[in-house]
Amino acid sequence: MQSQQIITVNLWQIVISLCNLCVLFLIVKRFLYKPVKKMLAQRQAQVDGVYEQADEALRKAEADQAAWAEKMTHAREEADAIIQRASENAHRSGDAILAGARSQADGIVRQAKEEARLTHLQAKEGIRHEIAGVSTELAEKLLGREINEQDHRNLIDAFIDEMEDSRGADQ
Amino acid sequence: MRLTETKPRRKGRAVDILLILMMVLPLVAAMVLKILFTPEGTGGVEIHGAMVYYAQEGADISQVISGALIITEAQINSWLVMISITGLCLFLTHGLEVHAHSTRQHIAEWIVEKTENLIRGNMGEFHLYFTPFIIAMMGLSVFSSFTSLLGLFAPTSDLSVVFGWAILVFFLILAAKACCGPRVFIKGLTADGPVVTALNVIGDLATPVSMAFRHYGNVMSGAVIGVLIGSALRGLSGALLGALGEVFPVLQIGIPGVLSIYFDVFSGGLQAFIFAMLTMLYVGGGFPLEDWLKRHDKKKQVAEQGA
Repeated sequence: MQSQQIITVNLWQIVISLCNLCVLFLIVKRFLYKPVKKMLAQRQAQVDGVYEQADEALRKAEADQAAWAEKMTHAREEADAIIQRASENAHRSGDAILAGARSQADGIVRQAKEEARLTHLQAKEGIRHEIAGVSTELAEKLLGREINEQDHRNLIDAFIDEMEDSRGADQ
Repeated sequence: MRLTETKPRRKGRAVDILLILMMVLPLVAAMVLKILFTPEGTGGVEIHGAMVYYAQEGADISQVISGALIITEAQINSWLVMISITGLCLFLTHGLEVHAHSTRQHIAEWIVEKTENLIRGNMGEFHLYFTPFIIAMMGLSVFSSFTSLLGLFAPTSDLSVVFGWAILVFFLILAAKACCGPRVFIKGLTADGPVVTALNVIGDLATPVSMAFRHYGNVMSGAVIGVLIGSALRGLSGALLGALGEVFPVLQIGIPGVLSIYFDVFSGGLQAFIFAMLTMLYVGGGFPLEDWLKRHDKKKQVAEQGA
């Protein structure tokens, strides 16, 4: 088998070699560059998606936090209002109860006083009657005769009044 | 559950094995071809170019510059390397996932991202579409140079092969310079007087030649030094061990391998990198970005006015 000289330039070989490089360029582009770039683009898209999701989650979390904080302040205000209302109610009902009790007590006291006064009057009347009766009987026995009932009563009444007056003057 | 889990994996593994075979078999085929067709050596120092597998009738192979259709080792090895690289690309991108688990996916991403960074640094963000071309160029150059590790004829040590790439780069540089119309292109050449114009033209024409000769020369010199050292070690083992050394050259074991780490691996990788860097710099430097942007704006304005 023959060999070439160590330095040769052959037109066909140059053309073939040039075409070889072009063909290999197409092969590398088709089978190495494109698939790798496609995969890298997919990876980039996925990474972007993950970042977007993370951002969205963060935004959502922040919104939730804000909403919760707002809710909490609302709840505190509401609780304050409820407590205030409750204590007002309690005050009001306590006052009402107190007033009721006081008026009831006043009524009881007034009634008792009235009763006492009536009892006192009754007793006074009773005593007066008794005194009148006794004195009438005494006077009848003493005088031995019937005296005018009416006159006699008037006399005794006058006497008792006089007695009461003098006691009042003593006191 | 188990079946559905293991089935695709097994299928993927079968595809993987096929792809690995696609990477390895071409190189094995190249080695078999080399062994089958290498003529019996005379034992002396033989330095020659690629073996010719097919020649047009009446073609004179000994001619230095020829236009005849010749298929040599260099072309065959280039094609086999291209098949290997295709297999490698398919293997690396097989089963790409958004969540990368496999080492090969990391390698594939690393290749694409590193090349993109290189282009960003040397040509600018605007030229990122060059990425697959630069990957292809570096891959072809590196793998072509590395075939010499398997004892094959490296396609990059054939001037015609590298010259073909350099001419493609030359066209790319011209295209980058002429993308704003012939007026900007000619203005760029002739702006500084007739003498500089002549120098510019010569410089443009010299670019592919210098690139091709640099790459070819470095790889070829490595191969030449490898042959020289091999024969020298053969002679040395003969001198040290007498007849035994002539039959069984002990010193040829190991030592050329160590040297080939520099001459094949380092030099081959470095030349591929330099070739790609020069391509990026020339194309990026030849591209008149300001003129292009002006033109682009003007076109936009015209389109807006028309609308």
